[in-house]
Amino acid sequence: MPTSANTNAGEKSPEAVGGQRWWLHPYFLIILAAFCVTAAELLFKRGAVATANDPAPLGIIGVSVLGSVWTWLGIAPYIASFLIWLHVLRRVPLHIAFSIMSVTQVLVPLGAWWFYSENISPCRWAGVLIVLAGIFVVARPAMKAEEDL
Amino acid sequence: MTPEILMLCVASQLCLVTGQLLLKHTMNQTNLTPMPWQRVIPLFALGISILSGWFFLWGGLLQKTDLSYIYPFEGMGPALMLIGAWLFLKEKLTLQSCIGIGLISVGIALVSAS
Repeated sequence: MPTSANTNAGEKSPEAVGGQRWWLHPYFLIILAAFCVTAAELLFKRGAVATANDPAPLGIIGVSVLGSVWTWLGIAPYIASFLIWLHVLRRVPLHIAFSIMSVTQVLVPLGAWWFYSENISPCRWAGVLIVLAGIFVVARPAMKAEEDL
Repeated sequence: MTPEILMLCVASQLCLVTGQLLLKHTMNQTNLTPMPWQRVIPLFALGISILSGWFFLWGGLLQKTDLSYIYPFEGMGPALMLIGAWLFLKEKLTLQSCIGIGLISVGIALVSAS
């Protein structure tokens, strides 16, 4: 019966993918950042609705959204996604990382439909599926190249 | 969609792309040893400032219209980012990534058209 004590030193841990922990894999982190952005956008929308009739301070558009607690709650996941994003940018080309982040194009409308009962037509669903296909086409070769390293 | 909303969407996307290009350029510098702090700090600050502009424009747009209606315009980003990354960061593009980003843009156009 193999135990951790007699495992070969060179053998990879089941948690490790490509020589690193799976939760540090840049492509996993991009998806995590996408979920953070989705949460932030949904909270910003709630904040924007809550302050829609407030006067704009100094006439500057958008600033009155800061008057809602929902906006500030939305800033937290945005900061988290930003920090994750900075880490990702050190490892992944910008056009690849940004394309994979387009998964938010799917997650945000789904969230808006689920939480705010915003309408999603069949045409919009089709668009969502094509966006997903595009992300797959962009991400697959890049991920494979990384795993081959 | 009114011309004002369209203009704000385009302006917010330009801020987003410019800010991200600056951040990527900055993070590329952080891989150098020794790290050139004199270059990294101003570039990072400029990137953050431009992304802040995007944040307020986006907040203004959210006040005027439905989230699911304007969010697809964020999808102009990947196509603009592809061009920006190729032009300014000299990233290598593959046919597959161009096709994938084309698909993303078509999907977003469909979402917007609906």
